[in-house]
Amino acid sequence: MLNILVLGLGQCGNRILDAMNREAFGRGGAFAKYYTRQKFPASVKTIAINTAINDLKGLVDTRAKDRLHVPHLHGVGANRTLGKQVFGENKEIIMSEIDKRGTFDLIFIITSAAGGSGSSFTPLLVRELKETYNNAPIICIAVLPFREEGSIFLQNAAFCLKDLVEEKPAGVLLVDNQYLKKYSGDIKSAYDKINTTTARRLLFLIEALNSEMLMVTDLGDLKTVMNGGIGIGTMGFYEASKDSTIKSAILGSFKPSGLLFPTNVYKEGARAMLIIKGDKKYLDLDLITKTIEELSSEVGQVFKGVLIQRGRPRVLSLFTLNSVPELENLYAIAADAIRFEREQQDKSKSQLDSAFSQIEDLDPIY
Amino acid sequence: MNGCRILVVAALLMLLFPVTAAAYSINATIEVNAYIVLNNDIHIKVLDVGTDMGSYAKVQFYSYRDSVYTETTLYGENIPTDYTSGTGMTIGVTLDSVFSNAAFIVIESTKELKITERHDAGVETESVTVPKLTITRTIDPNKAEIGQTVKVTLTIKNTGNGTATDIMLDEGTIAKTYKDGCPSTIDDIAAGATERIEYDLKIGEDAQSGTREMPASVLNYKGESGDSYSTQSQSSVLEIIAETVLAPELTISIDPIDYVVTCGDDVPMVVTITNVGNATSEKVYVKGDLPRGVRLVKGDELEPVYESIKPDKSEEYEVTLVASEEGKHVVEMKVMWADEEATAVFEFRAEKSGLEKYYIYLIAAIPILLILLWVIKRRREYSY
Repeated sequence: MLNILVLGLGQCGNRILDAMNREAFGRGGAFAKYYTRQKFPASVKTIAINTAINDLKGLVDTRAKDRLHVPHLHGVGANRTLGKQVFGENKEIIMSEIDKRGTFDLIFIITSAAGGSGSSFTPLLVRELKETYNNAPIICIAVLPFREEGSIFLQNAAFCLKDLVEEKPAGVLLVDNQYLKKYSGDIKSAYDKINTTTARRLLFLIEALNSEMLMVTDLGDLKTVMNGGIGIGTMGFYEASKDSTIKSAILGSFKPSGLLFPTNVYKEGARAMLIIKGDKKYLDLDLITKTIEELSSEVGQVFKGVLIQRGRPRVLSLFTLNSVPELENLYAIAADAIRFEREQQDKSKSQLDSAFSQIEDLDPIY
Repeated sequence: MNGCRILVVAALLMLLFPVTAAAYSINATIEVNAYIVLNNDIHIKVLDVGTDMGSYAKVQFYSYRDSVYTETTLYGENIPTDYTSGTGMTIGVTLDSVFSNAAFIVIESTKELKITERHDAGVETESVTVPKLTITRTIDPNKAEIGQTVKVTLTIKNTGNGTATDIMLDEGTIAKTYKDGCPSTIDDIAAGATERIEYDLKIGEDAQSGTREMPASVLNYKGESGDSYSTQSQSSVLEIIAETVLAPELTISIDPIDYVVTCGDDVPMVVTITNVGNATSEKVYVKGDLPRGVRLVKGDELEPVYESIKPDKSEEYEVTLVASEEGKHVVEMKVMWADEEATAVFEFRAEKSGLEKYYIYLIAAIPILLILLWVIKRRREYSY
C-alpha cells in the first residue's frame, strides 16, 4: 500500500484538503464523521498548514491534529516575502509535524499560487521535502487565481510558479479558478465546486495508483508522465453517459470541459496517463488499447490503467504539457499589473515627495 | 258556705295542677278522741275542735313506724296540712268544717286511700288483717358446669298483719334442669313470720351452656278474710358452663412485617405455634406452602415437627425468604395436630428495586451515552 502525504497549504490548499477528507467519508454527508471513519484508497496522511488560524478553524472534516498553525498573527497578508520569512522561522515545526506521519512514497502539495502562506511556503517546502524524502516524488497542485482578483494575487501567482518550477518538484498540476468559475454563477459555489472536483480527481488518482488493475499503471508511470514536457500539467475527467462507448469516454476526458486548466491537449500535451474505472461490461480492452494508440500519435506517450469497479466508465486523464500558452497570458497580465502597480507607486511617491518638499525648510511654530 | 269554698278551692287546684293533683281523696268525720287508720298505717285522731276566731281542729298523726306522735291544728282555710308517715306515705289533710264534737276533714294522697280502721271515742273497733308476702330467691352457686347441682333458696316473708294461707308456689324453670325437693305448696305463714325453702337444682347433661335466666317464683295465697293475693320474686340468672374437655388446641401466628419489600431482599418470617388448649399436644407438624417466586434462603427448615407442646407453651422459629418475582406473595403456614389444623397467612408485596425497575432504560441509555460520547469525541477530534 502506498504511503501518501497530502499537504494543504494556505486557505485554498486547506479547503481542497478538507474536501478530500470529506470525500473520504463517502456519501454520509455532514454527519458522516460522527459515525464512520475516513476510507482513503491508500495510506493517506493529511496536514493542513496555515498561518491564519481562522482558516484552520473553518475546516470541517479535517482532524484537529492534522491542522498545523504556523504562528504569525492571522496570516501573512498575501505577502510572499513575509511568508518566506515565516516559513524559515518555523520550518522545523513544519518538518517535525510531517515527520510524525512516517515515510512516504508520494507527496502532494495543494496550494493557491496567489495567496500568502501557500504560495510562499510551497517552493520552500518542496526544497525541504526533497532533502528529507528524496525518494518520494512531490507533485504540486497549484491553483491559479481569478484574473480580476487583483495585482498582488497575480504577481504572487507569477512568482510562486516561477519559484516552484525552479525547485523542480516531480510535477506541477494546474487548477485555474478563472477557467473553472464556469461551474457556478456565484463565487462561493464555484470555489466549493472547484475544491470538490480537485479533491475527487486526486482521490481517483490515488486509488488508481494503489489498486490492482486490469491494465496496470503505477507510481513509476506517474513519475514518467510528470517528467514530460515542462513538468507542468493538469487533469481531465469524463464520466460516460448511458449510451456512450469507452472510446468516447476516453476522448471526453481530453475535452476542455473536463480539464482543470485550459489547454489544447492534442497540441500542447507531452505525456499522458489515462485511468479508466468502470464495470467490466463497459470496458472493451481492445477498444481501449486501440483508442490509446491513436491518442499516442497526437499526445505522446500515454500510460493507461484500467480498474474494474461498479458503475459506468469514468476516465481520469493526467497530462504534462510541452507549452502553456495560458500561462504566458497570465504572466503578461501579471507583468502589466506589476508595472502598473510600480508606476502608481512611483507616481504616488513623487506626489508625496513634492508635498513634503513644500515644508522642507520650515519648522512648526507654536 | 264552707262547702262552696271547698269546691272553689278544689276547682282552682284542678286548674292549676291538672296533672300533679293528688289522685286519691277521702272524706272522714272524726269525733273528738276518735281516730281512723288509713291504709293500716297512718292514725288520724281528733283531739279537739272549736270555732273561736274561725273553725279549727286539733289532730294527732301517728304511724307505727313513727317514734313520736305529730300534733297539729287544722284551720278552715282550705289549705292542706301535709304529713308524711314513717313508712313514707304522705297525705294532705284539710279541715272542711267542725261540728260540736267532731271534725269533717278531707284527706288527699297520691296513693289510694282506704280507711282500714275506725275507732270511735271510747269504743275499740276490730282491725282488718291482711297478709303480705314477699319472696326472694338465691341460687348458690350461680355459676356451675353441666351435670352439677346448685342449691336454690326461697325466702318468703309475711310483712302484712294477717296470716297467709293456701300458699301455692309456682317456681320458674330453666330448660333441661331438674328440681329436687321444690314444694308446690307451703304451709301458712303468720304475720311477720319468715319461711325458708331450699331445694336442689340439677343441671341436666343436655342443658345448654351459657347464661340462662330462671323465671320468677310466683306465690299465690289467701288472707284470713279469704281474699286472694299474689306476689313474685325477681328472676334469677344461672350461668351454665359446658363440661371441661381436656384437649390441645394450637394456634399459629406469623409476625407481621413491612408489607412492601424489595425483590431480592431478605424477608424474615417468624412463626409461633402456641398451645392454647388444656392438654399437651403430641406430634405437631408445621407445613408451609411457598408461592412461586419466593424461596427459602435462611433457616433450618420451613416445616419443623415438634414432639409435643404443653398447654400455654409456644414454639417459635424463624426463616428467611427471598422474593425473586414482583407482586403480592401469600405464604400459607399450617400447623397440624391430631386430626385438626390451624392456618396462618403471611402476606407481603415484593417490588423491584430502583435499579431493576429502570434497568431497561439504563440499558437503553448506555448505547445512547456511548454514541453521545463518541459524537463528543469525534466533535473534539474535528474541532480546532
